[in-house]
Amino acid sequence: MTKKYAEEIEQAYTVITVMEEAQRCLLCHDAPCSESCPAGTDPGKFIRSVRFRNFKGAAETIRENNALGGICARVCPTERYCQKACSRCGIDRPIDIGGIQRFVTDFEARANMHILRKGEAIGKKIAVVGSGPSGLQAAASLLQMGYEVDIYDKNAKAGGYLRYGIPQYRLPNEVVDKEIEHIAELGAQFKLGVTVGKDVTMDELKAKYDAVLLAIGFSAPKVLPMFEGSEIVETAVSFLARVKESKGEVELPQNIVVIGGGDVAMDVVTTLKVLGVKNVTDVVYEEFHEFLASKKELRGAQELGVTIIDGYIPAEFADHTVTFKHRHIDSVLKIKTDKVILAVGQKAEAENLGVELVKNEVTFDGYKTPDAKVFVTGDIAHGDKTVVYAVRKGKEAAAAIHESLGGNK
Amino acid sequence: MINKDLSVEFLGVHFENPFCLSSSPVGNCYDMCKKAYDTGWGGVVFKTIGPKHFLIDEVSPRFDALTKEGTPFVGFKNMEQIAEHPLEENLADVKRLKEEYPNKVLIASIMGTNEEDWTELARLVEEAGADMIEMNLSCPQMTSHAMGSDVGSNPDLCRKYCAAVKRGSKLPMIAKMTPNIMDMVPVAKACLEGGADGISCINTIKSVVNVDLDRKIGLPIINGKSSISGYSGKAVKPVALRFIQQLRMGEGLHDLAISGIGGIETWEDAAEFILLGATTLQVTTAIMQYGYRVVEDMKNGLMHYMEEQGVDRLQDLVGLANANIIPAEELDRDYIVYPEINYDVCINCGRCYVSCYDGAHQAMEWDKENRKVRCNKEKCVGCHLCALVCPVKAISKGEVVLKPGRPGNPADKKV
Ligand SMILES: Cc1cc2nc3c(=O)[nH]c(=O)nc-3n(C[C@H](O)[C@H](O)[C@H](O)COP(=O)(O)OP(=O)(O)OC[C@H]3O[C@@H](n4cnc5c(N)ncnc54)[C@H](O)[C@@H]3O)c2cc1C
Ligand SMILES: Cc1cc2nc3c(=O)[nH]c(=O)nc-3n(C[C@H](O)[C@H](O)[C@H](O)COP(=O)(O)O)c2cc1C
Ligand code: SF4
Repeated sequence: MTKKYAEEIEQAYTVITVMEEAQRCLLCHDAPCSESCPAGTDPGKFIRSVRFRNFKGAAETIRENNALGGICARVCPTERYCQKACSRCGIDRPIDIGGIQRFVTDFEARANMHILRKGEAIGKKIAVVGSGPSGLQAAASLLQMGYEVDIYDKNAKAGGYLRYGIPQYRLPNEVVDKEIEHIAELGAQFKLGVTVGKDVTMDELKAKYDAVLLAIGFSAPKVLPMFEGSEIVETAVSFLARVKESKGEVELPQNIVVIGGGDVAMDVVTTLKVLGVKNVTDVVYEEFHEFLASKKELRGAQELGVTIIDGYIPAEFADHTVTFKHRHIDSVLKIKTDKVILAVGQKAEAENLGVELVKNEVTFDGYKTPDAKVFVTGDIAHGDKTVVYAVRKGKEAAAAIHESLGGNK
Repeated sequence: MINKDLSVEFLGVHFENPFCLSSSPVGNCYDMCKKAYDTGWGGVVFKTIGPKHFLIDEVSPRFDALTKEGTPFVGFKNMEQIAEHPLEENLADVKRLKEEYPNKVLIASIMGTNEEDWTELARLVEEAGADMIEMNLSCPQMTSHAMGSDVGSNPDLCRKYCAAVKRGSKLPMIAKMTPNIMDMVPVAKACLEGGADGISCINTIKSVVNVDLDRKIGLPIINGKSSISGYSGKAVKPVALRFIQQLRMGEGLHDLAISGIGGIETWEDAAEFILLGATTLQVTTAIMQYGYRVVEDMKNGLMHYMEEQGVDRLQDLVGLANANIIPAEELDRDYIVYPEINYDVCINCGRCYVSCYDGAHQAMEWDKENRKVRCNKEKCVGCHLCALVCPVKAISKGEVVLKPGRPGNPADKKV
C-alpha cells in the first residue's frame, strides 16, 4: 500500500517519448503558452530547446525563470494556465507542457547541473518568514541579486505545503529537497522551528534586517465548531502532513468520512484510497455542477472508488455519527464513522506580525505594506492561490524589495 | 545561463560564433540579414550575386519537401537560382550591413559566366565591404551550363575562375563545392591551385523528391512539368559529412579550411561537422522551416558540449574525428559483439524479432506465450539491427567474442 503512495502516479517521459511530444509542439511565434505561464517559465522556449535536442539549455530556461521548476512541473494546474492557451488545442489536444517540464528538470538533476548563480554581494540582508513556494522563490530571486537571505519557518523542515500538504504520489519530498538544496547553495540560511511573532518578534527582525518578507501562507486549518475537541476528528492538512512525513506508514480505520470538496479534499480521499482504506465517503457542500476541485482530481478519486455525495451540510455530530442535511431538498443523511477528516479550508495565522488581513488576504494590491520595511507575498497577497502564482508573487515581491532598497543604485 | 567563447578564426577573419546563414533566400536582403545578426548568427553568406547581364527568372512554385511519418521536412527541394534583386541593390545592402554590423562577418557569394564576370564581381563585393568571398560553383539548377554545378564538376574551369576572382580581389576566398560528383578532391585541389583559400561544402544534391501520382509529374509542378533540382536539409547531412571527411583525408588537405553545410539543425549536427573538420557552419533549410531562432539552441547546446568536453576554444574540436574514420579494409574484423537485452526495459513488442528474422539472421527467438525475445548466439552475427529498431533502447552491446582463430583479447576491443 505504502509503495503505491510513495511512487509518482504520473509516468515520466523518456528521451524518445519526450521528443515525440516536443515534436507535436507547433513552435508558435509569440508562443501563447509562454504568455500564459503566471511565473514566466517560458514553455515556448524550453520546448523548442527540447525539439532541437538541447536539454541543458531547456533546463536553464526553466530554472532561471522559476526556481521551483521541477515542483511546478508536477503540481501546476496547467489546464488552467499554459496548456489552456496552447495553439495545438485548435488541432487536437494541448502539448503536455507539465510532462515535458518534468522531463527537463529530471534531466537537470541527473546531469547534476547547478544553474542558478549567487549575485555579487550588495551588503543587504532580508528576512523571509515562511518557506513555502513564495518565500523560497523570493529568496532565490533576492540571492541572485546579491542579498543575504535568512528564511524563518515554524516547521521543522522547509517547504510549506510543498512538503506538508501535497501528497507524495503527486510531489515526492525528494523533489522538494532538491529544489530547496539549489536555493541553499545560493547561500540561503534556514532558521527552522522558529515562529515569528512568538520565538522572535517582528521588531527584532526589523532591527536586524533591511527588509522582512511575510510569506506565511494559509498555515492553519479551519475547523467547524461542532467538530472541535473530538478525538476521531482530524483536519485535512494535519492528516496529509502526517502521512507524508511517515511515507505512508499510518494506522487507519476502514470507514472514514471526509467533509469538503476542493482539491485538498480530493488529495485526502485519494490518499486514503491509495493507502487501502475500504470505505471512504466524501460529503460535499457544493453540488457537482459547482464543484471546486478540478475535474481531473475528481475523476481520479471516483475511479479509485470514493463515494462522493454532493449538496449536504453537516448539521450534527455525536457518538461517531455525523448528521447531514441537504442544502435544497428535505433530506437527512446519517453516517456512522470511525474517523472524520475535515477539508473545509485553511486560513492565515498572522498573530503579532503587524499586518491586517481580511478574509486571509492583505487589504492592498501588490507587495508593500504600510510599514516601509515589511513586504508580503504568497497566498496572503492578492491573486490565485496556487504554487505557480506563489512563484510569480515571490519574484515580484523580490523585485519590489529591491526597488524599495534603492535597486542597483 | 552558460556562456562560453564560441569565436573562431577562419582564414584570418574573426567570427564571434561559427554559425552563418548559407547563401540562399534566408540571406536575401538587408532586413533579413539584420534580423539574423540580431538573433545571434555570427555571419551571413549573402544570396549569390550574379553578373548584371544574367537575368534571373524564377518559377512558381519552387519548393517541395520529403516527409516521413510525423516528420515534416526529412529533406527539402528547391528550384531557385541566384539573387533576384538587381546587382546595385545587393551591393548597397552589403555595404549598409557592414557599416551597421562591423563585428559580424559578411561573406559575398558570387557567380559569373566567364572570367571577366568573376573578376568584376569580386572587385565589386570587396569595394562594397564584404569580409570574404564565396564562389558558388555548385548550384544544380542554373539555366546556363556556363554556371553552377556544371562548372563545379570541371576542375579546369574551377581553377581558371578561382584565379579570375583572385585577380579581382585580395579578400579571403572559399569555393563552394557541388556534391553531384564522385570525388570532390580533384575539384577542391584545382580551386586551391587557382587561389581559393578554403572550401565550403556542400551545395544541394540533384533530386526528384516526389511525383504526383494522378498527374504523373514531379513536384513542384510548373505548368504541367517539373525538373531535377537541389535537395537539402537533414537528409543530406550524411552526404555532406562524407565529402568533408574525404576532403580532409585528401593528400595534403588534412588542414584544409572548411565551411560545413548541409542539414545542420541542432547543436549536435553542428558538433559533428566541427569534429570532421569544419571551422564555420552554414545553414539554410532549418531556417526556412523554423526561423533564425534555431541558432539560439545551436549556440547554447554547443557551449554545453564544450563544457562537457572540457574545451575552452571551439577551434580545439575541429577535425578531432577525422583520424577515426578509416578505410573499410582497415577496420578490425576479428570479433563479434553480441546484443544484450535489458529485460527490465523491454516492453515485449517483438520488433527486434521481426527485423532480425526478415532483415538479418533469424537469431532472435520469440516465445509467443510470454512475448519474450532471446538472442541465440549460435545464429547471431552481431549486426545490431535489433538495437536500432528497439523503441525503448533496451538492447545494448554485450559480450565480445573473438572469431575462431583470431588474435587479441576481447577486453581490449573498444566496442
Ligand atoms: C493539500 C494541498 C494541496 C495543494 N495542491 C496544490 C496543487 O496541486 N497545485 C497548486 O498549484 N497548489 C496547490 N495547493 C496550494 C498551494 O500549496 C499554496 O497556494 C502555496 O503553498 C502557497 O504558498 P505560500 O508560500 O504562500 O505558503 P505556504 O506553502 O502555505 O507556506 C507558508 C509557510 O510559512 C510558515 N509560517 C507561517 N506562519 C509563520 C510564522 N509566524 N513564523 C514562521 N513561519 C511561519 C508555515 O509553516 C509554512 O511553511 C495545495 C494546498 C494544499 C493545502
Ligand atoms: C531555396 C534555396 C536556395 C538556395 N540558393 C543558393 C544560392 O543562391 N547560392 C548558393 O551557394 N547556395 C544556395 N542554396 C544552397 C544552400 O546554401 C545550402 O548549401 C544547402 O541548402 C544545404 O544546406 P541546408 O541543408 O542547411 O539547407 C540554396 C538552397 C535553398 C534551399
Ligand atoms: S502554445 Fe502549444 S503549440 Fe504553441 S508553442 Fe506553446 S506548447 Fe507549442
